[in-house]
Amino acid sequence: MDFGIQNQTDEQKQANKEYPIQNNNEGNKNQQGYCAFLTIQFYTPYFNVTETDVLQRIQGTFLPLRPDFLNLIRGNPDLWGPIWINATLIFLITAIANLRQIDEEKENQSFVISYVPQATALLYIIAFGTPIILAGVMKFLGVDLSFFQTICLYGYSMSTLLPITILCYFQNELFLWLIIVYGFANSSLFLIVNLKEELDKLQIQKKYIIIGIVVTMQLALYLFYKLVFFSYVNK
Amino acid sequence: MEFEAQENQGNNSIQGVINLDPQVNQVQAQQQEITIKQTDIQVSSTLEESVAVTLLRDLRQIGVKLRCVLVPTMSSNNAKELRNWDLWGPLIFCLMLALTLSMSGNNNDGTGIFATIFVLIWIGSFVVTLNAQLLGGKVSFFQSVCVLGYCVFPINLGALFTLIFSFFYLKMFLVIGCFLWSTYSAVGFMKLLIPEQKRILALYPVILFYLFLSWFALIV
Repeated sequence: MDFGIQNQTDEQKQANKEYPIQNNNEGNKNQQGYCAFLTIQFYTPYFNVTETDVLQRIQGTFLPLRPDFLNLIRGNPDLWGPIWINATLIFLITAIANLRQIDEEKENQSFVISYVPQATALLYIIAFGTPIILAGVMKFLGVDLSFFQTICLYGYSMSTLLPITILCYFQNELFLWLIIVYGFANSSLFLIVNLKEELDKLQIQKKYIIIGIVVTMQLALYLFYKLVFFSYVNK
Repeated sequence: MEFEAQENQGNNSIQGVINLDPQVNQVQAQQQEITIKQTDIQVSSTLEESVAVTLLRDLRQIGVKLRCVLVPTMSSNNAKELRNWDLWGPLIFCLMLALTLSMSGNNNDGTGIFATIFVLIWIGSFVVTLNAQLLGGKVSFFQSVCVLGYCVFPINLGALFTLIFSFFYLKMFLVIGCFLWSTYSAVGFMKLLIPEQKRILALYPVILFYLFLSWFALIV
């Protein structure tokens, strides 16, 4: 219930007009500069995609050697993909890891809830933390990295894990290791091929530092996946 | 410059005329005082009533809003009701769901389940609403959290059904029914506020949210 009663008399309105308006704008701009990343408007341009765009980008991650993905996100990196692909993965990990346990032990079926916080921490740290680390290292090496493009890249590289998680339902140990290794190779190749453009700004030796960081984080992710979530269940 | 002011508090309505012309401000200020005094009488009468009456009134409002949200008829009355958002309803349903699931016999980590469900519901609602806002939807933040929380109620029912029945396929059928009910209500509310081409991007998180909760209700 808004009345919007104006209590100013005419004289006060005159005085207000003479108040320097430019100072107010400058103050606002400074505030926008430092704390801009805390507002919603800062992130709105990164959600400028439709569902067909998202599906095309996910398809682009499955064939890493074709440079389709960079052309798809050029100029329009999005944050929707990274956030919600990881959320879907958290759900799938919890569902399938628990389903495996339920099928195995009929007597004491215990539901493991700790997969949810573990999966959340793992996925979001790798998907958002690694680009931050890479940006820091590249800055230290003297080159700028396009930050949101790398976050977008990392987020979509997690979509390799979507079919892998569903396939991890099967109990065959060898099969699981095979698909984990395939996933690791696929996503590492995808990341390196798409980071090549950024890496070319560096010298040869320094490139290997970045490639080393990328590969190490992917290795950590996939090993964690196999050893914690889908470890060998004794019959 | 005159306009009429009407205030509805419960079944009483107070009317007053407020004149913005500065010359008659004083006279009108007295009328405003009379209006405010009448409001004061309303306020003090709610302060003096018994706790039971207050609680019952709040519960009745929660019940009314629940009916608005869950019986998906898109009338303008519904929309007006939903604009008075409150977070008591979501809190009650969240606690009920977390308690039901943590006390069922199929697990040995009741506290972990309670904490996870609680955090999941609130942070999930927060993130889903934020997502809808970032995609350009004109959705008020707390109103959306309120509606998402109220739509958790069918999943509550599903969790209670899984406690009562033991035949797995019957449980699955009931929980799927509750999931579809929740999702249909929440989607019906949110899809009006999102631009056309980004609709699925905004609705998929809602579906994922209720899928996650229903799956918990079924398996735990």
